[in-house]
Amino acid sequence: MIHQYRNNGYNIVMDVNSGAVHAVDDVVYDAVALLAAEMPEIDMDGAGIPAELCGRTEKRLAEEYGYSAQDIADAMDDIRELVGAEQLFTKDIYHDYVIDFKKRKTVVKALCLHIAHDCNLACRYCFAEEGEYHGRRALMSFEVGKKALDFLIANSGNRKHLEVDFFGGEPLMNWDVVKRLVEYGRSQEAEYNKQFRFTLTTNGVLLNDEIMEFCNREMSNVVLSLDGRKEVNDRMRPFRKGAGSYDIIVPKFQKFAESRGQMNYYVRGTFTRYNLDFASDVLHFADLGFKQMSVEPVVASPDEPYAIRREDLPQILAEYDRLAVEYIKRKKEGRGFNFFHFMIDLNQGPCVAKRLSGCGSGTEYLAVTPWGDLYPCHQFVGQEQFLLGNVDEGITNTELRDEFKLVNVYAKDKCRDCFARFYCSGGCAANAWNYDGSITGAYEIGCEMQKKRIECAIMIKAALAEDEE
Amino acid sequence: MKKVKTLSGNTLKETMKKGGCGECQTSCQSACKTSCTVGNQSCENANR
Repeated sequence: MIHQYRNNGYNIVMDVNSGAVHAVDDVVYDAVALLAAEMPEIDMDGAGIPAELCGRTEKRLAEEYGYSAQDIADAMDDIRELVGAEQLFTKDIYHDYVIDFKKRKTVVKALCLHIAHDCNLACRYCFAEEGEYHGRRALMSFEVGKKALDFLIANSGNRKHLEVDFFGGEPLMNWDVVKRLVEYGRSQEAEYNKQFRFTLTTNGVLLNDEIMEFCNREMSNVVLSLDGRKEVNDRMRPFRKGAGSYDIIVPKFQKFAESRGQMNYYVRGTFTRYNLDFASDVLHFADLGFKQMSVEPVVASPDEPYAIRREDLPQILAEYDRLAVEYIKRKKEGRGFNFFHFMIDLNQGPCVAKRLSGCGSGTEYLAVTPWGDLYPCHQFVGQEQFLLGNVDEGITNTELRDEFKLVNVYAKDKCRDCFARFYCSGGCAANAWNYDGSITGAYEIGCEMQKKRIECAIMIKAALAEDEE
Repeated sequence: MKKVKTLSGNTLKETMKKGGCGECQTSCQSACKTSCTVGNQSCENANR
């Protein structure tokens, strides 16, 4: 399968099945399009591109496109070389692989601990309903958290790195338990040959020097919630009595990011229909001095006024393009930053097994409520039909677990023919459930944004690679 | 090649041989918490 596009003056050709990505000139770009229309994949047992198809393509490139004989000959030589190297028109060879893959025994390697179902902000888009998750306010006790860590160790098989995110609500509202759980986790590492990677997602209201110092010692990553420009942030992230949170939080986050050496953190915002010009919010983060950031589309019921609608897509996609151009410019000027969705690892990226299995919700990744119930991920918490078990008995709803195990790009009709399938791995199961009524469905508005982000990320690679020459 | 700059070669197929160790980060634990993004993660397979 070939996907090709033009962006910011670059011609990109992606050979989806091999993972190969090429920046090409106009002649190759047009030649690949003509060839792909007739022959999207080549069986390498055969003799490459049929001579008759080459002849017809060369003729069209000369007559319809007006390219010179030399340009056409060079382009076709390059294309044959790529085909020979299995970097163009390759076949999808992963269907059979995924059948074995479904039979695999899964381990649990990551937990999202809902350390506090309570919050000191009242963000208008909160899927956790201001921390309460369709339930009651509650703080996780140390005993429940300890059982969760024991459950993780016991169910992690040979996996060495275990991930635990302290999430909420607002986890700093239960800070003492966070510290005790980190201490407990560390005490178990040597005996079980495990290494915990703790992370924290916080709104920053309660951040202080002691917490920062602890996090810098113990947390491999921290996610700092802030939406961008003051007016944008304060509209959606007020305190319970209505006052904005920007002025209190920004200086703390700046100090925190600096104290971590501008690494291993993300300032993470949500954009909604109210700030479709969200590139300005990303750039605002950069202007505040942050180097690691993410701004992501809101997850909301379609009837909410702030929910993103299909008709907003043209503007959103144009914003990603605008951001990408500025991103390259600032990188080249030596004042670059990392935007989570533009980061892509083309050469040392995930293996195909990872790309097929996606996020691992419900199997490798589970969320734990304050009272110890297990859910497939934080987005499903509080929806009783997704209850998987609890920290005392483990996974009891194995039927549901197995449903999640089968979620992969080949199980999703809408993913099978999508060029982005090995980059997004089928997307978010919770989004698919919310918008499509099935965990093997797709959230199509999200898909359009994801595809654009991948295109931008690859174009950025091409632009920066050009500079390295 | 005169007209092509390859940004990434044939890597996916190769990963079928030694892939699947599972040591890499869970995608939702990274930054997003609302959208699955796998392609930007790095492989942590020590035997790759």
